[in-house]
Amino acid sequence: MGAIAPIGASPGECFESAVCGRSGVERVPAELYTGTASLAAARVRTDISGYWPAHQRAQLDRAAQLALIAAAQAIADAELYLSDEESLRAGVYWGTGLGGATSIEESYRQLLLGSGRVRPTTVVMGMNNAAAGQISIANGLRGPLLNVSTACSSSATAIGEAYRALLAGYADVIVAGGSEALITDGNLRAWDAMQALAHADANDASRSCKPFSANRTGIVLGEGAAAVVLEREDRARARGAQIRAELAGYGNASDARGISKPDADGQVRAMRAALAQAGLSPADIDYVNAHGTATSIGDVVETTALKCVFSDSHMPPVSSTKALHGHLMGGTGALELVLAIGAIARCVVPPTAHLEEPDPACDLDYVPNHARAARISAVMSNSFGFGGMNAVLVARAYQS
Amino acid sequence: MDTIKTIKELAAKQFGGEADAIDENAPVDQLGIDSLGFLEFLFELEDAMGFPIPQESVAHVRTLRELATVIDELIAARPAAPA
Repeated sequence: MGAIAPIGASPGECFESAVCGRSGVERVPAELYTGTASLAAARVRTDISGYWPAHQRAQLDRAAQLALIAAAQAIADAELYLSDEESLRAGVYWGTGLGGATSIEESYRQLLLGSGRVRPTTVVMGMNNAAAGQISIANGLRGPLLNVSTACSSSATAIGEAYRALLAGYADVIVAGGSEALITDGNLRAWDAMQALAHADANDASRSCKPFSANRTGIVLGEGAAAVVLEREDRARARGAQIRAELAGYGNASDARGISKPDADGQVRAMRAALAQAGLSPADIDYVNAHGTATSIGDVVETTALKCVFSDSHMPPVSSTKALHGHLMGGTGALELVLAIGAIARCVVPPTAHLEEPDPACDLDYVPNHARAARISAVMSNSFGFGGMNAVLVARAYQS
Repeated sequence: MDTIKTIKELAAKQFGGEADAIDENAPVDQLGIDSLGFLEFLFELEDAMGFPIPQESVAHVRTLRELATVIDELIAARPAAPA
């Protein structure tokens, strides 16, 4: 597994932060934002400028840079060394919402407000599949490649589709995940125009994202990347791989209702499909990493959907780690799967931080503010995207 | 103006290394500069020179020395600045 996110530069660091309540959210600096609202965002604080020579970095959008780092971590963690022949059956399935958003915005800024010239690298940096291609190139992965863009569920969908591709025999191993880097003036202004963004907490901006709390005010945009190496079990066992977890089920269902308004029905069907594929009953799930974006409607709809899937007697603890890492958009599903798998390994449920005021409409066990020790065998990770695109992953402890 | 010096200094800044160590007669791909990287380099060079470099003028350029020759020709062809 690999991750570089606002709460850490590795899966281990991210999980520690999630458990300890270390927030990656801060007030948006004035130099990034020309609007008048008081906004917060979760940026990757790790200095990644030294990872590549300047001329190579000049061809990589920030989203692709983060993607390459997460993918490299995952490949190193999996100790994945491929022969020339094996690389033909090694793929990349990658999710992103806006691809090279920073490069595209910068090109328009220069075109309309600056020099009037557009850099020759704008296309290859801005295109939505740039990160997937760069991962493939950097690691010599020559099997199937797919770029998935289903808004906030992009990387969960990418991982799920990679899982299906392995089951169908299209590949033996796939680097899957997602990345996003869209904290730009234009995107902040656009999201704020939708009235979807959280106001910066006046007392402590790091506490601006408050999923399931009555005083939640909306999404905090985040950036980062996370990746997993998915491998067919027989191949992983044959080479003695350290297997972090078993991806056991994937559900994908659409709302077909509103372009931005979530709907419980599609979420329920996605959760049930993931459980069915895993051969698990709701009672088998020990932890749900919720989508939990901290919008007024989204958290209530997800709560309703969870109640439909899990009966009162079998409701597992549910938490939204977005309170700390923000909403990584196309990268969020992958990061949250990594954190959920961390919960299996460490026997700890990460909390929902900043849950300050109970909301009668959000009345589940959200593990408020403090991590909880628990034996965790199976986890669910929910990702729901604009367009009504719901992707749910189920993973469980690997038992040979 | 020493055009080749300007070009080599910009190349060193963009691609790393020392300007004096760059072989101006080597094909640019042997300097580790791919085609897109060369276009990006020309973009920066336009900024440095302060005038556009037409694509057709550099279509057959293979080395930094050849590029300097083209730039010198473009400079010579430019109208003189008003006194």
